Amino acid sequence: MKDKLTFELTRRSFLGTAIAGAAALAASPALAAAKTLNVLSHKVHQTVLGSGDGDLLKDWKGANDADVSFTTFDSNPLQDRLFREAGLTETDYGVGYIVDNRPTSEIASLFDPLKDYLDRNAIEDFGDIAPGLVEGMTVDGKLIGIPVRHATQGLFYNEALLEEAGISAPPTTLEELVEQAKKLTFTSKSGTPVTGMILASDLAVFPVMFARAFGGDFITRDFKLVPDPAALEQGVEVLRGMFEAGALPRSYATTKNDDQVTWIQQGRAAFTVLPFARSAQLNNPEQSKFPGKIKGIEFPGSSSIAGSKPMSSVVEAWGMVIPRNAKDKNLAWSFIKEVSSKRVTLGMALNGNGSVRVSSYADPALIEKNPLAKVEAKVLANARAAFPPFPEAARAQATMLEEVQLAVLGRKPVKDAVASIIERVKPMMPA
Amino acid sequence: MRTRRSARRLAVGAGKTVAVAALLIWSLFPIAFIAMSSLKPGQEIFAVPPHYIFTPTFEHYVALWTRWSAFFDGLANSTIITAGATALAVITSTCAGYVYSRNSSRFLDASVLFLIVVRLIPPIVVTLPLFPLINMLNLNDTHVVLMVLYATFFVSLGTILMRTFIDQIPRELDEAAEIDGASRLTTLRKVVVPLAAPGILAVAIFVVVFAWNEFLFAFIFTATRAKTAPLVISEMIGSIDGVDWGILFAASSVQLAPILIFVSLMNRYLVAGLTAGATKG
Amino acid sequence: MRTRSAVHLMPLLAPVHVLILSVIVLPSIYVIWLSLTQSTFGQAPTFVGLENYVHVLTDPAFHSALWNTVVLVVVAVHVELALALLLALLFASGLPFRRLLLVAVMAPYAVSEVTAVVMWRFLFDPDAGPITLMLQALGLPILDWSFEPSHAMILIALLTIWMHLPFTFIILYAARLAIPNELYEAARIDGATPLQAFRRVTLPLLGPAIAVALLFRYIFAFRMFSEVWLLTNGGPARMTEVVAVYLYQEAFSYNAFGTAAATAWIMVIVALLLAAGYVFILRKQVSANAH
Repeated sequence: MKDKLTFELTRRSFLGTAIAGAAALAASPALAAAKTLNVLSHKVHQTVLGSGDGDLLKDWKGANDADVSFTTFDSNPLQDRLFREAGLTETDYGVGYIVDNRPTSEIASLFDPLKDYLDRNAIEDFGDIAPGLVEGMTVDGKLIGIPVRHATQGLFYNEALLEEAGISAPPTTLEELVEQAKKLTFTSKSGTPVTGMILASDLAVFPVMFARAFGGDFITRDFKLVPDPAALEQGVEVLRGMFEAGALPRSYATTKNDDQVTWIQQGRAAFTVLPFARSAQLNNPEQSKFPGKIKGIEFPGSSSIAGSKPMSSVVEAWGMVIPRNAKDKNLAWSFIKEVSSKRVTLGMALNGNGSVRVSSYADPALIEKNPLAKVEAKVLANARAAFPPFPEAARAQATMLEEVQLAVLGRKPVKDAVASIIERVKPMMPA
Repeated sequence: MRTRRSARRLAVGAGKTVAVAALLIWSLFPIAFIAMSSLKPGQEIFAVPPHYIFTPTFEHYVALWTRWSAFFDGLANSTIITAGATALAVITSTCAGYVYSRNSSRFLDASVLFLIVVRLIPPIVVTLPLFPLINMLNLNDTHVVLMVLYATFFVSLGTILMRTFIDQIPRELDEAAEIDGASRLTTLRKVVVPLAAPGILAVAIFVVVFAWNEFLFAFIFTATRAKTAPLVISEMIGSIDGVDWGILFAASSVQLAPILIFVSLMNRYLVAGLTAGATKG
Repeated sequence: MRTRSAVHLMPLLAPVHVLILSVIVLPSIYVIWLSLTQSTFGQAPTFVGLENYVHVLTDPAFHSALWNTVVLVVVAVHVELALALLLALLFASGLPFRRLLLVAVMAPYAVSEVTAVVMWRFLFDPDAGPITLMLQALGLPILDWSFEPSHAMILIALLTIWMHLPFTFIILYAARLAIPNELYEAARIDGATPLQAFRRVTLPLLGPAIAVALLFRYIFAFRMFSEVWLLTNGGPARMTEVVAVYLYQEAFSYNAFGTAAATAWIMVIVALLLAAGYVFILRKQVSANAH
């Protein structure tokens, strides 16, 4: 039996190599660089680096006689795969992309600390990279990732619908936003039923933004759980009120991020909260019924905190890491260094990437191409992640969302829901 | 008498017509909607209320072709993997099903039970230990891994179905062949397989459909060389830059078409085979 | 027929069993060990005894997930079986364009889960889905599935039936076609009504096929995942979560491999208990066929 098994396996591996070899021969054109750097990323990370004549890495590839081969996955599968690969004895991947709410101490231990690399072979004007983002990639005092992309949340509104409802200016306070959203829950001239606002219910971003609008938070950067329960209650109360008034869709509990985009594009909702970078898609004439009419501004805080505290929007950032078990780490660092250079960072920004360098936002080409760049830079200055990474962060997020959903749908009083959040999440907090 | 009978026939006919109409709507409306959506201009897809009359456009298919070449590589990989997995599952299940049909012992009964019990283990579970193992064997991102995995998760059903089908073939036929001096393998090939063809096709359909659409294993065990079409489609859905629904529906339609055609072609043989088997008794 | 010794049968049996042993059984044994440890990415497993099992079995979220799963399995699988049986008989009674209709029935089976769910979500959108609008126009109550958990369960059941009806149907239809027509003729000559013929001829002879279809549908339905994950995400507020979603969350969202492994084994045991009855029936069939 055992002999049979080994035989089966060797034959399989032989077959595997043969078939895969044939497939590789068939698939790849006859260009062969001396080295190949395997990169594990999201497709967007690859796209913003350009291709063909617009390939931002053309010079680097030539100088290093290297090719870059991207393996791309959607966000969550990507993180899962990256951690699996980094947990093996050896991996083919030299560089991976990590999102800033994932690196706990355990996960950070899978990747090389980058300080030595920086000291030996520095990145151009490293101080120009937003310090908050660098901090987000620092775990237990060790820098494990170089920031490469960020997505900062802004408030989007449909200018045409606002005009139709007789509203001349977008809201400057949360109270105005709620009032306008309620007013915009109507049937538009075109006969489309409009809902004031649409928000996904499966992301911590939104309740956190509403809590912050009242000066509160879910979990702070120094791991304080719900520092101001009254502020979280107020935030959830606002969501509950909007749902009750029909200013959030009936399908709130099953609304996803992508629904926000299609509803705004179709004029089914007047307001939403999305990363500024989505502006292009919301106004894309091929998909949107309101191209050029979807405007982005900073998410407004409550009038009760106006002037005392700046509104802190949510930002999500991506960094580049080198797995500890990678084979050619020098090539990997050389790639990271090139991608982080001013030239490539700006090039990526022009391709729609949220730039991590402060200097990019002053560039005239970017200002012309992306009218929101200035607003985004301003919001970014005060922005921070929805919550910090810790081992049970995903569970804490899910628990919070469950309670918020119960409260918004009216199945549980807001006060009780907030109390449950505190009680249930407390045991999940890092010691 | 005659009028009553014809009235009944009419009622039965009407009942059947209604049933068939309901059946068609139930089965095909959602599918037609996908295909229709892939032909709508981008801003029409989610229009409320939906438009049923529009000028069709192939822009999404063009965009799919130019922007997502990985999808077509994925289709090629899916084809290779599906073919391999199906062949493996069908051959192994037919052999085992034959043994189980023609023999009986406590050991064999127990091993049938074992085949079923094993299937209660959720596939997701075995991925944890298999990932490092497959990397160690250097089989990651090969077609073979998925062929073997897909086949394995269908041999239980396959074996049991094949046993039920082979049960219906009179034993006298293979006994006669054996008396003529044919080996067991020859009997299986020359006598049993031709008669069990509808069963084999039924099993094949199940494996093909499963292997063509499977996501979890493909996501864990492939990277670039063996990446399958459903994996590429899932990337379109989860894109952090936003979903381009038109392209997504175009891709879904393209992915759906070959399998629909395959199932319809197989149906033809399946029905022919089944009917032939039925009349022979 | 004489029973050959097991050794002679090995060459034909071995491939199936080698596949199952190497791909499913051996890894699962490792998973038993894993279920007794605590581990995550970047952290080697440490032994914790039965702690994971206690954690899962005392988690109210697991209880509700298990309850939802059992309800869905029982309702969806039996409704599906009844529909499949009706359809198989309808087809067997003779239909025009049978081949084309067969393709239509089988079509949903070919649709990948992801695509199916995207479309169903839109069709049943509680504000503007075409089906919702249609129901409203007819004055019928709509499925308020994103607000009412019970409605969400109905929609999940409908979707799972839609996707799997072809599977059950084709097994039953194949078995129905295998019943010789002479038996029906004999029944008719004996003066049996169609209903009697169904009860005396069709049902008993379809028995084994029904058992196979039910058994595998139980197994598949018990680990139902995509329908729930993509349609409601377990919501509103985790009220439609099923065990496979619970397992997936533990493994992939929380990376708690120990609890995930324990959940898996609990699932196996519960499924085993549920399926035991059907396995028993099947086993009786096995010995009945063999004698």
